[in-house]
Amino acid sequence: MSVAAERPVEASAPRTARRRAPRPHDRPRTLWVITGIVYAFLFAPIFVVILFSFNSARSLQTFEGFSLRWYEEFFADETLRESLFTSLQIAAITTVVATVLGTTLALGMSRSRSRASGFAGLLLLIPLVTPEIVAGVSAFVLFAQLGIALSVTTIVLAHITFSISYVCVVVRGRLASMGTQIEEAALDLGATPLQAVRLVTLPALWPAILAAAMLVFVLSFDDFVLSFFTTGESPQPLPVRIYSALRFGISPTINAIGTLMLVVSAAIIALAIGLPRLLGRRESGVAVLTGRSTG
Amino acid sequence: MTDAFWRRFIFPGGLWLLFFFVVPIGIAVLISLGENNEFGGVTYGWHSEHYGDALDPLFAPVLLRSVGYAAATAAICLLIGYPVAYCIARYGGRRRNLLIGLIMAPFLINYLVRTYAWVALLADEGLVNSVITDSGITSDPVQFLNTPWAVVGGLVYGYLGFMILPIYASLERMNPALIEAGKDLYGTPRQTFWHVTWPQTLPGVLAGTVLVFLPAVGDFVSAQLLGGPDTYMVGNLIQQQFFGADNWPFGAALTICLMVFLGLFVFLYLRATGRREALA
Repeated sequence: MSVAAERPVEASAPRTARRRAPRPHDRPRTLWVITGIVYAFLFAPIFVVILFSFNSARSLQTFEGFSLRWYEEFFADETLRESLFTSLQIAAITTVVATVLGTTLALGMSRSRSRASGFAGLLLLIPLVTPEIVAGVSAFVLFAQLGIALSVTTIVLAHITFSISYVCVVVRGRLASMGTQIEEAALDLGATPLQAVRLVTLPALWPAILAAAMLVFVLSFDDFVLSFFTTGESPQPLPVRIYSALRFGISPTINAIGTLMLVVSAAIIALAIGLPRLLGRRESGVAVLTGRSTG
Repeated sequence: MTDAFWRRFIFPGGLWLLFFFVVPIGIAVLISLGENNEFGGVTYGWHSEHYGDALDPLFAPVLLRSVGYAAATAAICLLIGYPVAYCIARYGGRRRNLLIGLIMAPFLINYLVRTYAWVALLADEGLVNSVITDSGITSDPVQFLNTPWAVVGGLVYGYLGFMILPIYASLERMNPALIEAGKDLYGTPRQTFWHVTWPQTLPGVLAGTVLVFLPAVGDFVSAQLLGGPDTYMVGNLIQQQFFGADNWPFGAALTICLMVFLGLFVFLYLRATGRREALA
């Protein structure tokens, strides 16, 4: 009865014809124009930074000719070289520690139903919904009250604290979609719980862990606010140096630094995309992050 | 596997967060209630006047300005970010991944450096002004820097990606057949959008506005580089209390105010829109 009632609608010829005809909103010219303008807005400053990092003149307004002098100046400056090294060091240590802590936390939280799990979930949310300056001030007063002198160590501690949440969110997303069946199968086959985690869960989590590690490295390497509140006198990470340089007179070296940092971050992302492919996996870390992973 | 086995995994990271995030916030509360002593340190006590200072007519405008700038930033990001996310998700075709990747590319240049690039572009003798004066639109350079527009522009530039990504994700997740269904029911494109697409992408919009608004309220780089004392935000004020003014209790009180305000905001905003899971 209902089938009969629907049939005339389905068979209605003019509507089928209308569906095939090109409709004006299928050629969204206005949308593409807006998108184009936004891309221009996003890329104009990047273009300026990269272009003027190769400028032979001091000017930030006119491009006089190609030269590498700002890069030479960067590498000739011992403090800046040291800062680059410090930034890389901070990002590397932060990545290792935060990835380990965040991954174990994610494992515990998504597999345990205890009250500790709910509490940890709440704890995790705080860093994600507070602006960085709050985290900076809290870390600053903590170290001051404990009498710990600010140094590279304090920066690393602050960065790890902030990064655990990101790792945990990424890894938990993956764990939730994985389910617990494969772990249970491993246990049925006689594995101890720890063996099941090490031999079954972790290998399956690997793309998510790599994605999280990449995210942490890039965020830590680029971070200014937290570093600003927790840095000692020397050595200072690169973004803190940039900040003082911006306040006390500016040199085009800034553009060279910006371009170099771009290269480092891009290399890390390329690694996160390339490494799984090299190891024969179909999904890259970036695919996991952007939610385009295959499962 | 037993719950006791898994529970042990929570402790290293959980205790770390407890010690390095919750304890410091407690210390900040204590300091905000203390007072400066002659040794340049802080004596604990029960002095609520720093919270009074934060609402003083001298400083209250700074707080209001921060909220206003951040709200304007979120609104502008939504206004320009939604069409971009929509365009990429619906019409990006095979180049979608590349297009969305490009949205994130500017984030690879340090925030300070790319904000500073705007200083070079917008200065009186900068590129934008030379284009404007050369083309004869105005004879004198337009003052962009040190205006609220420049600060909000810098914030939009800094956080636009956080708006586009969640909206894009929710558009991706949406079943395109729904749009077809809307049209088949004789909805005009406009009706179809407001009755079908928009409600489906609301979680993305909510996540995006929160992700833009929160960091924008606490930002101090944009106001520092693109603005001046008239456009300073609460972040600048906090930063000054710890570096320069050396008034830690006041700085801590401002930080706590900011945190409580944002916590309440997120709670009420998500409750009003009935989407508590939007952030998770």
